[in-house]
Amino acid sequence: MEVFETALPGIGVRHEFVTRAGTRIGVITRRDGRRELVVYDRRDPDSCRDIVELSAEESAGMVELLGGSRVTERLGDLRHDVEGLSIQWITIPAAGGLAGRTIEDGQIRGRTGATIVALIRGERSIPGPGPDQVLEPGDVVLLMGTDAAVEAAERLLEG
Amino acid sequence: MIAALVAAGTAGTVLIELGAVLLLLAVLGRLADRIGVPSIPLYLLAGLAVGEGGIHPLEASQDFIAVGSDIGVVLLLVMLGLEYSSAELFGGLRTNGLAGVVDLVANVTPGLVAGLLLGWSPLTAVLLGGVTYVSSSGIVARLLEEFGRVGNRETPVVLSILVMEDLAMAVYLPIVAGLLIGDGPVESAVSVGVALLVVVVVIVASMRFGPQITRAVDTESAELLLLTVLGLTLLIAGLAEEIQVSSAVGAFLVGVSLSGRVAEQGRELLRPLRDVFAGIFFVFFGLQVDPGRLAPAAAPALALVVVTAATKFGTGWWAARRAGIGVRGRARAATVLLPRGEFSIVIAGLGVAAGQTSDLGSITACYVLALAVLGPLATRFAGAIGDALDRPPKGVSAAA
Repeated sequence: MEVFETALPGIGVRHEFVTRAGTRIGVITRRDGRRELVVYDRRDPDSCRDIVELSAEESAGMVELLGGSRVTERLGDLRHDVEGLSIQWITIPAAGGLAGRTIEDGQIRGRTGATIVALIRGERSIPGPGPDQVLEPGDVVLLMGTDAAVEAAERLLEG
Repeated sequence: MIAALVAAGTAGTVLIELGAVLLLLAVLGRLADRIGVPSIPLYLLAGLAVGEGGIHPLEASQDFIAVGSDIGVVLLLVMLGLEYSSAELFGGLRTNGLAGVVDLVANVTPGLVAGLLLGWSPLTAVLLGGVTYVSSSGIVARLLEEFGRVGNRETPVVLSILVMEDLAMAVYLPIVAGLLIGDGPVESAVSVGVALLVVVVVIVASMRFGPQITRAVDTESAELLLLTVLGLTLLIAGLAEEIQVSSAVGAFLVGVSLSGRVAEQGRELLRPLRDVFAGIFFVFFGLQVDPGRLAPAAAPALALVVVTAATKFGTGWWAARRAGIGVRGRARAATVLLPRGEFSIVIAGLGVAAGQTSDLGSITACYVLALAVLGPLATRFAGAIGDALDRPPKGVSAAA
């Protein structure tokens, strides 16, 4: 499955791919975190037949439903597939770094290019945490990106 | 400022007139919403009605409206700067540069030539070229949302053209502002040079130090953030005006310099203020236009509407085809770019403020009135236009 990323200046970013059955679907991520799931029209492949607006919470729910919590099991394969991808587990320190603050506060992605793909808190796993997710001391964070990006993000998170 | 208000009339009449103008805008905005046209043309009409020779000329509040209109331009431009990050502005330069150049040449030329044909000075003709060039990013953004086209595959093409126009404005505005201010050729060259230098320095600095600037401005409190961003914007805009770079350029650069959370929240916080003051700006522009000059301006304005609707349509069509978009998508991209609006008026407003005596104001008013209404109408029928241009595949009727 090949996912195409397109920047939408002033709006956000769009990812799209064609399913094996031939339907083209896309996800628009707005700058404020809202998501839209779009299904393209087969007769006019440039236009959307359907647009489903999802709040941050609904998107997270959708991910669960689609089996996103298995994300960690797939990481090994992923690292194998994408050369240069670095994946790192970071434990949030008791104080300092981003302890007690939200992901948005750290602007990890904006400042380093790395992404927090999941969060493990005790027994619970939080896949695809939203920007308003608070990082608590002891949380284990799964970071993904290039080597340099992950390293920079590590410094931000650990303080 | 209080002294100025009192000098112009009693505080009571100022408030009454101002309140009446804002209420008028509110009523017109609702009407625009109801009949499905953008509010800008109706705001312009309101300005014509309350101006010299209009239905009910304002007396006391002209001074305040003049200041409000300056603030309106500043807020329009800072929001334009905030709309795109510098990465978005320059990221597409390589891939979309050609589309940007085609858009520029195809749409500036008609205005420029028309100005020269009307016997205007070259500078005023360049201003008219700017008026016919810039699509209204405000109206286009609303149309994309309204028709559910944000996810469409032709939308990145449309957005990239808007971004390129933004970038062109960052060069165009300081040049014309410099030329309008300078007296002789040497002085003009100096002020244009200074303006362009400032723009380059600020853009380079904002790309290098954007995160640091943003962190310095950032605060948890919405109130403090609003005060900081607004204060910074007005201050820099004023300083830019003082060193003859034009407040519009200064404000735009402030917007470009801010990024991340500050830009995000700044947009949210400034939007209502921008709407109020931009409304006042449109009214002010309208009231400076003598309604008696509209009739003679109508013929050249309509000729420009026809020509530049065609050139913009062609630009959008070509750019979309280049990106591999089908006929229907090309029709949507071509029509959605047609509306001209706020920035055409900003450009003409620069000329009017600098005392250009030609019909620039009245022609621009007619021109924007027409295209701000006809553009959205055209894109509403983009589906039909696309169907007409694209023979439907066998066995699929148009009604299906």
